[in-house]
Amino acid sequence: MPMLRTVTLRFEGHLPEASFAEFAAHRAARLSLPHAILMQDAGAAVIRLTGPAALIDAFEMALSLGPADCLVREVRRQDNAPPTME
Amino acid sequence: MPDLPSQWTPVALVADLPVATSAGTVLQGAEVVIWRDSAGRVHAWEDRCPHRGMKLSFGFVRGDRIACLYHGWQYDGAGVCRYIPAHPELEVPASICVPAHAAAEALGMVWVAAAGTDPGSLPPGGAEPLRSLFVEAPLEVLVGLAQAGLPGAGAVTEARRDGALLHLSQGGTRIAAGMHPMGPGAAALHLVLPAGASEDRRLALVTAAAGLRRAAEAAAGTGEAA
Repeated sequence: MPMLRTVTLRFEGHLPEASFAEFAAHRAARLSLPHAILMQDAGAAVIRLTGPAALIDAFEMALSLGPADCLVREVRRQDNAPPTME
Repeated sequence: MPDLPSQWTPVALVADLPVATSAGTVLQGAEVVIWRDSAGRVHAWEDRCPHRGMKLSFGFVRGDRIACLYHGWQYDGAGVCRYIPAHPELEVPASICVPAHAAAEALGMVWVAAAGTDPGSLPPGGAEPLRSLFVEAPLEVLVGLAQAGLPGAGAVTEARRDGALLHLSQGGTRIAAGMHPMGPGAAALHLVLPAGASEDRRLALVTAAAGLRRAAEAAAGTGEAA
């Protein structure tokens, strides 16, 4: 039974809003991670996710690399709640 | 992902896709991996691992799965990721999957089409492989020349197009050529024969096919002499 986490990721850098949001939604769907964009502007985005740690790590890695018109300079991570069992 | 056409198109010779192997091909600009699992079933998918975009045609087949060469993600016959080596405990969500096309074998060739295409329109029967001819020329240039026959392989008594096939009768031999448009300037013909052609005749036809390639590339201005 996988251990689920709820994590908030804050991405900072050059983040065109439309393409970053679309990329985040696509990657979250691909990884079956429920997500919510809590805040977004051209310089930062805060996304909350719930799911297995390995998939949240994969999401963070994917968004730290792309999309092509974005440049992520920093990622800050916060565990929002203690781990739960599915 | 570019959609594949809803008509079946030959993309390889059956003989060139042994059990437990994979190969990459291109159909009208769409990159496709074709692979055969250990039970002999043929699969055709988008040639791209959803993890990092690596070509799955560079991967390796183990049993009923193909694994990406890059990080070893394993996909079952439906294209669904079943195992991630870096996270062996992870129950992989079904959303991590590779878009799958339709794949079939007919007349000694591997055929692909858009998912869900009716296999009833595939040509019946079997055949023996001659060779696949890959040419840097548009398909219509290649086929236009092929309809006059393979250079030096005897008199042409029939040249008939039927869907994705060109049927030739030349020098007493019946030849079927699967027409494979790869992109605007590249095409292939997958050549098969009925059973029973002599080795001498097969060698003559292979040599003649090479002549057809040179002629097509010269006509398209892409050959060595161009």
